[in-house]
Amino acid sequence: MIPFYKLQRYEGNAALFELVMMSIVSSYVGEPLHLHAEGLRGTGKTTIMRAAKGILPNITRIKGCIYNCDPEDPHCPHHKGMTEEEINRIGVEEIPMPFLEISHSAKVGTVVGSIDLAKLTDPARPEASMLPGLIPQAHRGILFVDEINRLADTSPEITDILLDVMGNKPGHIQIEEAGLPVVDIPVNVSIWAASNPDEDPGPLEEIRRQLSDRFDMVCYMGRPDSVDILAQMLEENSHRHKIKRNQEKRSQAENEAKDNEYRQKVIKWANTYNNTDLPDFLRNFIARLYIKHNIESIRAIEAMQQGAVLHSVISNRDKVMINDVTSMIPLVLKHRIDGDTLIRMVNDVESRGAREGILNFRGKKNKEKESEPEYFQHNARSLKDMSRNELVNTEKDLTPGEY
Amino acid sequence: MLEERTRIDKAASVGNYLSLYFGQDQGVRLGESTVVSRKGHARMPEKRVKGQIKILLNRDAGKSYLDYVEADQVVHIDIYHRPGIIDPRMVAQAIFNAMDEYFLDKDPQLKYAEDERFKMVADYANKIYVVSKQGKGTIYDLFQGIVKPYTEGEEGWDHLHILARLNRDEYYMVYIIAEAAEGVILASGVKLSRVRNIIHGNQKQEQDSYAGYIKLPWKNFKGHHAQQLPDKENVNQLILKLAEKFGGVDEIEEFMESYSTNVFKRKGIEQQKKKWGDVEHDLEQLEELGLIKNTPFGKIMSKKGLELKEYVIKHKCELETEIRRNIRKTPSGGSSRFRKMGEITNKNSEVEFTNHNKTINDPDKNWSGDLAVPETILQAMKNSFFRGDDSLTIKKEDLHFYDKKSYVPIDVCLLMDASGSMAGDKRQAACFLAEHMLLTGKEKVAVVTFQERSSEVVVPFTRNQSVLNKGLATITPAGLTPMADGIVTAVNLIKESKVRNPLLVMITDGIPNTSLWTTDAKADAMEAAYRIPENDIRFICIGVESNRYYLEKLVERAKGALYLVDDLNKDNLINIIHNEKKTILDSKRQMA
Ligand SMILES: [Zn+2]
Repeated sequence: MIPFYKLQRYEGNAALFELVMMSIVSSYVGEPLHLHAEGLRGTGKTTIMRAAKGILPNITRIKGCIYNCDPEDPHCPHHKGMTEEEINRIGVEEIPMPFLEISHSAKVGTVVGSIDLAKLTDPARPEASMLPGLIPQAHRGILFVDEINRLADTSPEITDILLDVMGNKPGHIQIEEAGLPVVDIPVNVSIWAASNPDEDPGPLEEIRRQLSDRFDMVCYMGRPDSVDILAQMLEENSHRHKIKRNQEKRSQAENEAKDNEYRQKVIKWANTYNNTDLPDFLRNFIARLYIKHNIESIRAIEAMQQGAVLHSVISNRDKVMINDVTSMIPLVLKHRIDGDTLIRMVNDVESRGAREGILNFRGKKNKEKESEPEYFQHNARSLKDMSRNELVNTEKDLTPGEY
Repeated sequence: MLEERTRIDKAASVGNYLSLYFGQDQGVRLGESTVVSRKGHARMPEKRVKGQIKILLNRDAGKSYLDYVEADQVVHIDIYHRPGIIDPRMVAQAIFNAMDEYFLDKDPQLKYAEDERFKMVADYANKIYVVSKQGKGTIYDLFQGIVKPYTEGEEGWDHLHILARLNRDEYYMVYIIAEAAEGVILASGVKLSRVRNIIHGNQKQEQDSYAGYIKLPWKNFKGHHAQQLPDKENVNQLILKLAEKFGGVDEIEEFMESYSTNVFKRKGIEQQKKKWGDVEHDLEQLEELGLIKNTPFGKIMSKKGLELKEYVIKHKCELETEIRRNIRKTPSGGSSRFRKMGEITNKNSEVEFTNHNKTINDPDKNWSGDLAVPETILQAMKNSFFRGDDSLTIKKEDLHFYDKKSYVPIDVCLLMDASGSMAGDKRQAACFLAEHMLLTGKEKVAVVTFQERSSEVVVPFTRNQSVLNKGLATITPAGLTPMADGIVTAVNLIKESKVRNPLLVMITDGIPNTSLWTTDAKADAMEAAYRIPENDIRFICIGVESNRYYLEKLVERAKGALYLVDDLNKDNLINIIHNEKKTILDSKRQMA
């Protein structure tokens, strides 16, 4: 796999690189950010998302806890309510932030959890216990769903589970297995999804509107359209195959170093994120956008706020700026409102530079109406003053020359 | 006396003219500020020439304002004035008095028959309805001080809106009403507006002036920041707008080529209209966006226009994806209006398939189907443990089977009227429907057209989008309506093709006027309709209200159903198909 840093960046995929970083930072501090990359084949959406696995920072969990219990705040059935002392006795460990993947043919048991076969068949001491599925195992990390439109089409059961997981931050999940106690635990998982809206069964919003709306941000991927970029992509690909063994070792060390750089950055950004808040005037700005353009989804403006702060953080700033908010508009809203409203909104914000008082929303429309020249002239004579042959006028009479 | 005489003469003359022009389905300007017809009236803000009023030929006044069933019952009188306060009670009084005076002038004998006179006037007062911004009601009610409130957005803010139920021989009354109402407007200190001219035409779906809010790049290119997203979004949105009108990327190119400097690729405006309908609105928008410019040699693409063309070619893949995304969209049901008549009782066959994503474990049920081996073993292991078995045993309660799903496949053949009257918007809507069905369903779609003197299989049953698009592109409405021929061709196509639960959908805005076997076009189509049920084909016809009488008989013959719409637009068409498919599925559920 091509390491994250070596992937080609171009206009059509730039936003996804940013979103991926933002979601990693956010997940690291325990606040999921759900992403959906939509695009044709060859836009590299899955490649970018999967490559991000290599740059994930470590998280600390209670040793051996398959639910990834945070030692500071244990939540799983085994460790919930334990004292610090008890936890210290078990010990803690560092693991890479989880990155798990479910396919469109996944079954409920695999995704949610089922009986632990290994323990059940242990010849020495058979035992019935729960094995958490991919979602609880991805706690504090990322769960990647490729071809989410097909999943939503063929498996409404799993879709319902995802809706629960993404419903709140944190979400929750219920693991049921006959004969075993029901486990209901919170899960903090960022769902990353990819789909091709042009392939069967079509765009996610037409299949399950609700699920599409749960994604904080949607990235519409563009194809590379410059010859240079394509040539470089080709070169990178062929390079990988022809490389010699000793060179490969060296390049592996280099890759490791680069990945590490990202990891350090994520940790640093996560710190900044924890200490950055959206200034009031921008919060008001978002609230006014919501009202002015009649946006229905509260989720959308929550995502706009979260995204704006994250965007400023990964741009190495500690202050959120208006551009951080405006650049979120298409990502947050494109899957939620119609194209015309989105364009009006984008252009409305664009057209007034920061200097012209971007925050001034006073009804532009009303002003236009007032200044609009009148439709009629008000100099008509009354019927009383007219002679009989002036009374009835046809279209033909009134439009000379055109007939 | 002279004045009285002139009023009577003027009214009589107006009455005569109105019955002449109304008979020709025309409206007129009465004096300078009043428009009279039996239709709806609208401003034309999209035109640069101000002061015009359009008489909407496809909106009968009685039907649209008063929910009348029959057309031509109501005369619509709009007296335009500068926005101001006009008390509808004053208007009612003035009209009431004017009518009274008029009757008296005309027949002085009535002076001695006060009761009779009052009855005459009161009779009219119940048939005349007045709306101003200050309130509304019948003259009778208003005269007694009963005023209903005006609702914002209703007709009446810049004109007195008067509806009068009058017979042909009573049209003279229009003059009396208008003169009296004008008097009240002037007496209220409000000036009369001058209607510059009138135009007859159909009411269109509200057209979006996208040039107002779309902002193209290539304009203020001051090398500013890398935030190119809004630009791209803008261009994409423009293309989507154009695609809505013209159909697809290829058609947009074809349209733009009509304004290239290459004379061989240019299409005349008449030819454009045949295919795409009224293109003027879009031309105006493109001009406003600076993509097309006026030159001494006519309209041609500007530099920006050429850049747009480049962009379209370069991003064809993504743009087509977005266009298809739009085509897949299901219109919201609220805006569509249709009426269904008749029920169909065809039997449908289903297709069953195994759902490998879901297994069923139900010990009470005798199941036949695919055994889900891994799930069964897992269940057996678990249950063995709980049962306390010494080793793994598999019992009936452990069995898992794959779930079964079924659906009713419906292959659709569109039988499209491609006579001259279908040109433009109606053609586009029918083509859009075909694409929508192909993209949103799993079933095959075919298209048969009838026009001139014959019919043609334009698209055979297919799931292939490019086959469909190529076929649709060839449809150019012209000529007459040989419906019988169309039905026969469609039935034969269905008979010859491998199709499941065939649904034949006929879309027409007319009735047959070219015969097949005899000299009677209508009778031939009736005869052809027999063949539909004979071949177990489910049939629906989508038509317009005015042809209801004939079409109702036709679908009865075909054992089908008739859907009537006020407009053959794409939302209506798509909603009808969704409705019909839902009916089929519901009936399947009921039978189960
Ligand atoms: Zn734990």
